[in-house]
Amino acid sequence: MATDVTQREALTQLGASTAEAVARVLEMFVPDGVERGEVTVIPETLDPFANLPVGGIAASVRYVDGVTGGNVFIMPHTCARTLATAMGAEGDEGPLNELEMSAIGEASNQMLASAAAAISVVIGQEIEISPPDVRILDGRTDAVDVWGRAPFACSTSFTIAGEPCRLVQLVPSAFVVRMARAIDELTMEQSAIGDFPGAQSSSRDDSEGALPLDQTLNQINLRFWAELGRTQLPIGEALELPVGAVLDLDRTADSPVDLFVNGLCFGYGHLLVTEDGEWAIEVQSLSKPSVRRPSLVGGAGLADPTDTMKGNI
Amino acid sequence: MARVLVVDDAAFMRKLLTDALVSGGHEVVGEAGNGIEAVARWQELRPELTTLDITMPEKDGLAALAEIMAIDPSAKIIMCSALGQEAKVLEAVRLGAKDFVVKPFQPPRVLEAVDKALT
Repeated sequence: MATDVTQREALTQLGASTAEAVARVLEMFVPDGVERGEVTVIPETLDPFANLPVGGIAASVRYVDGVTGGNVFIMPHTCARTLATAMGAEGDEGPLNELEMSAIGEASNQMLASAAAAISVVIGQEIEISPPDVRILDGRTDAVDVWGRAPFACSTSFTIAGEPCRLVQLVPSAFVVRMARAIDELTMEQSAIGDFPGAQSSSRDDSEGALPLDQTLNQINLRFWAELGRTQLPIGEALELPVGAVLDLDRTADSPVDLFVNGLCFGYGHLLVTEDGEWAIEVQSLSKPSVRRPSLVGGAGLADPTDTMKGNI
Repeated sequence: MARVLVVDDAAFMRKLLTDALVSGGHEVVGEAGNGIEAVARWQELRPELTTLDITMPEKDGLAALAEIMAIDPSAKIIMCSALGQEAKVLEAVRLGAKDFVVKPFQPPRVLEAVDKALT
């Protein structure tokens, strides 16, 4: 049975994975115009849909196949118009027209399809989503009636070209349980192999046994990698790639590389070659603290911006 | 130049695809907003090429693809769907789709897929 602490960590991880995927799609529509804020776990006693912006837009995508929950993107009117315009749907003064509403729905579909895929990877379960529902918030919206309830909720703030908006996630129990189990299993695995960096302390060796959970989580090894670049191929070409084929990536040789930890992009760096001839990364910038230090794994060993660290490339 | 049927539940995406196809010299002969309409419009129009979204109400794009391919195994269909639905790609290819364009897309990518499917 997952502890409350692990549940909270699971929710934070799910929220961060979702926000990362959503931001990446938004950035395709509004290059350099997207800021991602903190993931907030909403306590059961609070309404995740408090303070809905009257006259704004809510675009929701539900999970299907019997899984309750979903994602609701909530935008004040000006934010919705900014996004629609960035996508190429022009409107006049006043309420959003049909094409702008459709553009918002399409943006939500693309963002949340990407998020569903990211969560599928994290929890190891394929997730299907519904077509988007886009509605104007008229001040009488009954959130439970429209979007239903879920046992867990979290919220992430964004700005799109300076306009604030937020993503509310209604998270099914199954996702939290699977995520929490994955964290627990990783913790147990690490305990079993004793692979704790610098953990040969008396507190670990004494007969009292395990460390407190938060300390244990702090010592988990995370998968760190750097991404040199990307390319996109039709599946037909990918399946027929011959040995010796050369694929152009979307970066130049001196471009910064993206740094990932457990699937989350947390910063940028430059490739170096050490005196031993090994690859290394010089970290040049780090993203927001919510991603860099997700609550309980806060001291997970991510380096200061000036540090140089080695990783699998 | 080809006669194309554009299928997507979002009017905005139908417009975007239509603009891209027209700019490439193609003619959009019809549109559909869900899988049921897609099959009906395909039978009525017999287009040379169809672009098909996957996540749609009433009937999804994979089901519509299967029905159209059962009617005419030589039908040329390009799937055009959101990032993250790549898990559906193999299923679409297995059912006979000629290519898969991931949204959001640039118009040249759509035209490239269309040209390739038509050759």
